[in-house]
Amino acid sequence: MRVSYEWLSTMVDLPQQVPDLVAELIRTGTEVEAVEHTGASLDHVVTGYILSCVPHPDSDHMKVTMVDVGPHNVDDHGDPVPLQIVCGAPNVAAHQHVIVAMEGAVLPGDFKIKKSKLRGVESCGMNCSARELGIGSEHDGIMVLPEDAPIGVPAGDYLGLSDTVIDCEITPNRPDCLSMTGFATEVGAILSEPTHIEVPAIAHEVKPATKDLVDVAIADPERCSRYCARVVRNVKIGPSPAWLARRIVAAGSRPINNVVDITNYVMYLTGQPLHAFDLDTLTQRDGKRHIVVRPATDGEVLRTLDGQDRILTPDMTVISDDGDAAVALAGVMGGENSEVTEKTVNILLESACFSPGHTSRTSRDLGLMSEASIRFERGVDAAGCVEVADIAAALFESCCEAEVCRGVVDVYPEPVEAATISLRPSRVRELCGADIPNDFMVEALARLGCSVVPSRLGSYLDVVAPTNRPDLTREIDLVEEVLRLWGMDRVEPTVPGAPNHPGGLTDLQRHAHMVGEALRASGLCETLTYNFADTGDLERLRMPDERLGQPVVILNPLTADQGQMRRTMIPGLLRSVAYNLAHGQDDVALYEQGRVFYGSPEASQPAEPQHVAGVLCGAWQQDSWDQKARPLDFFDGKGAVEQLAEALKIERLRFKVASPEKYPWLQPGRAAQIMAGKQCVGWLGNIHPLSLANFDIDQDVVAFEIDQDALLSHAQDMLPYQDIPTLPGVEQDLAIVVDEDVDYETCIQRIGSAGGKLLVDVRLFDVYRDPVRVGPHKKSMAFALTFRDPKRTLTAEDVEKVMDKLVKKISKSLGAEVRS
Amino acid sequence: MSMIDELEGIAASARERIEQAQSLEALDAVRVAVTGKKGQLTAVLRSMGSLTPEERPQVGKLANEVRRQVEAVLAERKAQLEAAELAARIEASSVDVTLPGRRPHVGTQHLISQIVDEIQDIFIGLGYSIESGPYVETEYYNFTSLNAPADHPSRSPRDTFYVEDPLNPSAGSLVSDVLLRTQTSPVQMRTMEAQKPPIYMLSPGRVFRPDTADANHLPQFTQIEGLVVDEGITFGDLKGTLDHMAKELFGPHRATRYRPHFFPFTEPSCELDVSCGVCGGSGCRFCNHTGWIEILGCGLVDPNVFGYAGIDPERYSGFAFGMGAERIAALRYDLPDLRMLMTGDMRFLRQF
Repeated sequence: MRVSYEWLSTMVDLPQQVPDLVAELIRTGTEVEAVEHTGASLDHVVTGYILSCVPHPDSDHMKVTMVDVGPHNVDDHGDPVPLQIVCGAPNVAAHQHVIVAMEGAVLPGDFKIKKSKLRGVESCGMNCSARELGIGSEHDGIMVLPEDAPIGVPAGDYLGLSDTVIDCEITPNRPDCLSMTGFATEVGAILSEPTHIEVPAIAHEVKPATKDLVDVAIADPERCSRYCARVVRNVKIGPSPAWLARRIVAAGSRPINNVVDITNYVMYLTGQPLHAFDLDTLTQRDGKRHIVVRPATDGEVLRTLDGQDRILTPDMTVISDDGDAAVALAGVMGGENSEVTEKTVNILLESACFSPGHTSRTSRDLGLMSEASIRFERGVDAAGCVEVADIAAALFESCCEAEVCRGVVDVYPEPVEAATISLRPSRVRELCGADIPNDFMVEALARLGCSVVPSRLGSYLDVVAPTNRPDLTREIDLVEEVLRLWGMDRVEPTVPGAPNHPGGLTDLQRHAHMVGEALRASGLCETLTYNFADTGDLERLRMPDERLGQPVVILNPLTADQGQMRRTMIPGLLRSVAYNLAHGQDDVALYEQGRVFYGSPEASQPAEPQHVAGVLCGAWQQDSWDQKARPLDFFDGKGAVEQLAEALKIERLRFKVASPEKYPWLQPGRAAQIMAGKQCVGWLGNIHPLSLANFDIDQDVVAFEIDQDALLSHAQDMLPYQDIPTLPGVEQDLAIVVDEDVDYETCIQRIGSAGGKLLVDVRLFDVYRDPVRVGPHKKSMAFALTFRDPKRTLTAEDVEKVMDKLVKKISKSLGAEVRS
Repeated sequence: MSMIDELEGIAASARERIEQAQSLEALDAVRVAVTGKKGQLTAVLRSMGSLTPEERPQVGKLANEVRRQVEAVLAERKAQLEAAELAARIEASSVDVTLPGRRPHVGTQHLISQIVDEIQDIFIGLGYSIESGPYVETEYYNFTSLNAPADHPSRSPRDTFYVEDPLNPSAGSLVSDVLLRTQTSPVQMRTMEAQKPPIYMLSPGRVFRPDTADANHLPQFTQIEGLVVDEGITFGDLKGTLDHMAKELFGPHRATRYRPHFFPFTEPSCELDVSCGVCGGSGCRFCNHTGWIEILGCGLVDPNVFGYAGIDPERYSGFAFGMGAERIAALRYDLPDLRMLMTGDMRFLRQF
């Protein structure tokens, strides 16, 4: 909403300084987007006097004028000299007082005035029409000022154009502030100043009565709660008076002609959009025109005033000519077929109230926003339709020499009732936490246009809200009004003590934090990726969709590759790997904690399990002065997962070979299921090179994805204390040769059970393969065993006895050959 | 040569050899040669038998004197040599201390998580708990129960991602009764339904809006919502709580300003500004010459919302607030492009 300071100041006393008003608006909830000084745009535009006017030597219609602009053009001695201006206006003549745009002026529409040659004659400016100055619609010729006009005065000052426009953002709950009268009321309440709003009144009404010329029918009062029509006859279409043109320019409109300008002016004044039809374009039946407000038919076409053909749907409402052709799109824009033109003589004026919902959808669906639709969307005060029509009629009478037909046709099936609200001043103080006196409440609400009557016992106030404030229906709405006018800044800040509410993180939340901490300690950086997925992501990754539910499909995705919700976090992380590789970052270690989405045909909402996933690629770091970079591999990923399990004190974490049939996105031989107890909680492995190629990655990537919810169900806060041994242990090495397919885990298990109670630790320290010395398809594994008895020091014989037994047992159970 | 002369000769030559010894090994060789079992002094003492009884005490005394002297000189020289060896070892092991150290490879937490954790910590300190809710939400929880009018523009498919409801197929429509939550506010309603007041909760989480990703927008971002419902909660409580948060988050010298605003789910509603950290409030490019930076929306819980939650608005009152973690991050670091938060660029992630 663009508010003219000049116009506003006619309605309420304003502070001298504009910034003071701006500060008060912001303090009370009206956001100010910009403050514009409009006079400034007429720099280098001055009043002048045409000393002489002779025909252009090379043109039939142009004249060469010498224009006195006083001190604005001087010679080398500083003496005023006239400007030579070539002028094409038909009405230009010597001895006229005019408005001159000199070199350097910028007229509305970013029209820059420069020195130029017109058909060989130098021209140092322009004599302006009202339209060129943006102050009227007259463009048949230059603007001629009265004979007593001064010479050489800035045009902004002479025309009274110097104004300040405050551009305000009005929140959707305040349709009243989309009008000058409503805005003035608000400002009056903010400043505690009375308003003095005067509106023009009709001087004479003439016969025939409007009701004898027009009738109105509303098909669906849900869509149109009130429709008032007035007829004015014998209008003289022409330019608007300067004061009116100036105000609508300040408000953001372009002057067109006096009739259209008046409808806009009254809309800015009252917030009620108006529409003027050319009465004679409507069909006459039984001596009358028949306005029918009806739903549009499917596919109905209306050419709106902007010249575009609009294809309508039944959700849209039209004003139709006797139920037949549409002549306007209700609440949004008029139709070209009934437009007011220079030939228009009689006018049917509409002042109506259309439903916010339909208007909003119509405007959105057609991509057509207008000053009218903005107002109907937020709600127009149906109670005011007749008064507004009268204001417009009065202006038609005074500015267009029109005859105003008697009375209004007013179809108003269900008049709105003003809301009556009980306000407990004690409740206001309770909710605000501020000691706001009753008197302040009464005055503030009254200034906002409410009628306020204290109850007989004085414990509450009976408040009747004005009908242009649809946001005031409940006590709490009045609390807000009182608080914002009182000043939020005046309320003492207090911190509630949260009594009887123990806060803090739950165990699950704490453990989820520990997951991140553990992975960071292992060297992975946390990242965020989109929860969206491409439809082809699973296929690209070669991940089957079994056990991943159904995709959650987005109906209105922004881009095709964000058409679903993700069911695995890996594609997003692989894209981050590819991004890094493409930007010269070869060492990537990332993890993400987030959700995946498993839809089900039986539920509206999907399951959203929390996952944690990671990717490793390249090395931890580049070569340094004393260390060579080591490429990251499977065991770096595994180490990170093991570290994670240790942080969460998960005791029974195991890794099982993941079969290539079930895990086709992993490289066979480097693929593992992550087991917590008997539950598979995730997987770890090298992503299959074929999958990587689909993500434009040509380097090894180790990845894991874990169902975090499942993992955390195995987490523990503490493990029991273990005594620190006081007696020394005995270390003994054991090297065995086993078949290649005997895995480490089996070896450890068998050695452990063969070693009995005295064997307290087994550590693998070497794996060695040699087809000759070890044998084909065999490997030699060397273990350091530690024996200890907590009660006594072991002797060499004790250990020898246990070792003998151990060697015998594992030779059998592992098929191992023991090397000594 | 008398034995006395011999002893004096041994003493003199020992002293000289000791002084010339350049290592602990050489010194030890001198010790063995002079005072060892087969050494010179021992040899002299062994031949004492050949002396007269008058000479013996004299020579014995001298021999002891010589041994004592030699041992003293040996000890002194040993100390010297040990000190020299230590010095040499230290010298040899000196390094260029400006060379880079060896550090464990520790990862970093994402900037957004850091901000969420920081804000969470502030509110846990005030007795809040942390709540969460589904990302794929129903229209009821995301809009209706939060008092958003049926025609509210935020419900349009331009402002909300809708998803296919398997129980109620959309049949070509772009809207549905299931959507990606556009705000964390549905968690308010779910918490109020599941718990009785007092409620002091914070719910950080991802939200989604169909804004094409650019320098200032992301279709997925992070909101942090707070809700308090208790007896006697006032607008002053809202201010006190958020003033505390603003000072913790932005520093003790930043001023706050509450500007009345409009949100469907709160009444009265306002926006919270903090004074600009760049110009201190006098106005600059960073704050668009206003001196203030908007950080969040807040207000007292609208009684209609309590109505949906089945909470008596006469007995209880409350406040709610919501802010964007990305916005806080952008303000704090003056980030040129929000998309950096989503690419996983190691150079970006390693900075925080």
